[in-house]
Amino acid sequence: MSLAPLALFLISATAVAYFIGYLRAFKIAKPLGGVRNLAALPTYYASMVSLWALIPGLIVLALWVALDGAVIESLVKASLPEEAKYLPADKLGLVLNQVALVAQGLGDISILGLEYQAAVERQMRLTQLSRDALPLLVGSIAIISLLIGLRSVTAAHNARYSVERLFNIALFLCSCIAILTTVGIVFSVMFESWQFFQLVPLSEFLFGTHWSPQIAIRADQAGASGSFGVLPLIVGTLLISAIALLIAVPVGLLSAIYLSEYASARVRNVVKPALEILAGVPTVVYGFFAALTVAPAIREVGDAARAWGAENGVVWLANLNVSSESALAAGMVMGIMIIPFVSSLSDDVINAVPQSLRDGSYGLGATQSETIKKVIFPAALPGIVGGILLAASRAIGETMIVVMAAGLAANLTVNPLEAVTTVTVQIVTLLVGDQEFDSAKTLAAFALGLFLFLITLALNIVALRVVKKYREQYE
Amino acid sequence: MTERFQTVGNPLLEDPKMRVRNASVFYADKQAIFDVDLDIGKNQVISMIGPSGCGKSTFLRCLNRMNDTIDICRVEGQLELDGQDINDRKIDVVELRARVGMVFQKPNPFPKSIYENVAYGARIHGLTDNKVQLDDLVEQCLQRCGLWKEVKDRLHEPATGLSGGQQQRLCIARAIAVNPEVILMDEPCSALDPIATATVEELIHELSQNFTICIVTHSMQQAARVSERTAYFHLGKLIEVNDTSKVFTNPEHQLTEEYITGRIG
Ligand SMILES: Nc1ncnc2c1ncn2[C@@H]1O[C@H](COP(=O)(O)OP(=O)(O)OP(=O)(O)O)[C@@H](O)[C@H]1O
Ligand SMILES: [Mg+2]
Repeated sequence: MSLAPLALFLISATAVAYFIGYLRAFKIAKPLGGVRNLAALPTYYASMVSLWALIPGLIVLALWVALDGAVIESLVKASLPEEAKYLPADKLGLVLNQVALVAQGLGDISILGLEYQAAVERQMRLTQLSRDALPLLVGSIAIISLLIGLRSVTAAHNARYSVERLFNIALFLCSCIAILTTVGIVFSVMFESWQFFQLVPLSEFLFGTHWSPQIAIRADQAGASGSFGVLPLIVGTLLISAIALLIAVPVGLLSAIYLSEYASARVRNVVKPALEILAGVPTVVYGFFAALTVAPAIREVGDAARAWGAENGVVWLANLNVSSESALAAGMVMGIMIIPFVSSLSDDVINAVPQSLRDGSYGLGATQSETIKKVIFPAALPGIVGGILLAASRAIGETMIVVMAAGLAANLTVNPLEAVTTVTVQIVTLLVGDQEFDSAKTLAAFALGLFLFLITLALNIVALRVVKKYREQYE
Repeated sequence: MTERFQTVGNPLLEDPKMRVRNASVFYADKQAIFDVDLDIGKNQVISMIGPSGCGKSTFLRCLNRMNDTIDICRVEGQLELDGQDINDRKIDVVELRARVGMVFQKPNPFPKSIYENVAYGARIHGLTDNKVQLDDLVEQCLQRCGLWKEVKDRLHEPATGLSGGQQQRLCIARAIAVNPEVILMDEPCSALDPIATATVEELIHELSQNFTICIVTHSMQQAARVSERTAYFHLGKLIEVNDTSKVFTNPEHQLTEEYITGRIG
């Protein structure tokens, strides 16, 4: 039996419980002289009863689904033939898997040997038992707890309070899930990175100026002989992000100011959605736009400039060298991509500045631009900074555009006309293809991930600090 | 068509500072002010009284074109400052508002320091040449509003940390720092205790030596204390304008009498 009918049963039990609870609340209210003599409104009693019907059943169901496989497995293990019990852990797992497959009818007993017949039969029996018992168990628990819930529908019991508390717990659990997931990811990344730093010293990783992980997987060389200096990647990431922000911040901010302060309602209704469409374009589209249009255009301009420089004896121009994949191309396109992050958020916060502040400024004879510069902009600054930092972390994390337009060459340079690469791009290239899980090359991806995480974390902390500082000043 | 309402009393003056003829204000299709004729005398204090929602603030905002900032608001009629039409689309509203300053009904200090709030107008209009002059101006304006003693040690703290009454006085200080010719005050004492009110009334008195002042107030005692003339508004119409003493002792119009004796509003 699949879970769907069971879930349906629980939901209908919940609905029925609501109804019964509601009627019951009215019934006990009647002899007392009306609903106002109950400790809570009838809907609260109804919610309470329906939660009683839902939650215990749901918990049992979840526990069963989670533990069922493990319990069956340990029971089956007991019926394995003697020699199988001394197998190493990974082989034993394989055998147990095969037993399960055969029990499901997906294989023949001959792949295991007849001595496994007992185990297979046991597996079949237990699975069947579990299937039959689950609906019975969940159903009876739901009904019993519904009855318990109904019993506490009394005039004195404050159901509103119970519902409120349960609601609280539910909210708390949801936030726990978010936090635990994050913590889990961080820990697993940290663990793998720690393994990486067993192979490559931390100082080499942080201060090395050379990045070429490929060498490390050659069989005749030991793991640590590749170079894992992260500096070129960091510089590349920062260079591209800086170019992107250099474009996105002024354009985004000024268009937000135009939209919220100057544009008529008609213009605003057209331009704002149009800007937000930019955020909906898939990054891979931006990527080939960068690689096929922008990068060649930059290169052509560069070549023309070089030719002109050579003719007119301008030495630095004559030596100009524009590679066909450049940080400039990737950064520019990425800047366009993140404009909506800056503009949309800034627009919202600028609109949130109260009209009375504008009035105050106009009333003193300030022009519109003076009002924007001196009153609206400072008041909206925390939100604007937030938008910019969001855009920055977006830029740092962006991969696709860089893969396509900036290349894979880990050059340590701040020249925007050369090919560079970024942390995220390297993570991708490290993990593409078949990998050994414990090679330094694969583990390096985790170390890079951790590094990236620390950078964005630091960025966020700085952002919060900045925002808080201005909050204190302006509110 | 309904008969045009005729204001009783003396709405018109010889050689006024501001002249309003036939002014009507509409919020979208709803008319809020009906055909007001009124002259505002030079270096006089005129108070506007009337029940809540009768259009006092709306009328006041016509006088420095603050209604421009409300999209749905439309002002018709002739409004003049020193004989110059101010309802003309072409005039420089920024200059107009520097000459006709305003203190709003709700205190709206900028989210800046106390000092910066007062210095704001002076900086924009280049009224001072150096820091010393600016410091002097700020101190002087705060003194006149009776705020100096309370804030002199915290000039560089945020103005939003002041109490409601202090904020209101700060807004007055901010307005007079620009040195306008006409000051429009929309209930400047609504959040003030009697002592601060007395300070502001003294200030109004002092300012009226050189400035023209329009003040909206709900306190008839205040109107009686500070103003030479009083205008009574009712449902968007200007009912009666007379010398303050006359309005409060011997009103001509029945509605005025009902209001000041407490039967309306
Ligand atoms: N922004 C606006 N949009 C639409 N209608 C408005 C607006 N501002 C004011 N009104 C309307 O115009 C009329 C006059 O309002 P106004 O604020 O001038 O009254 P008031 O006399 O200042 O009242 P109060 O003493 O309560 O401040 C009211 O009916 C009000 O509903
Ligand atoms: Mg008002």
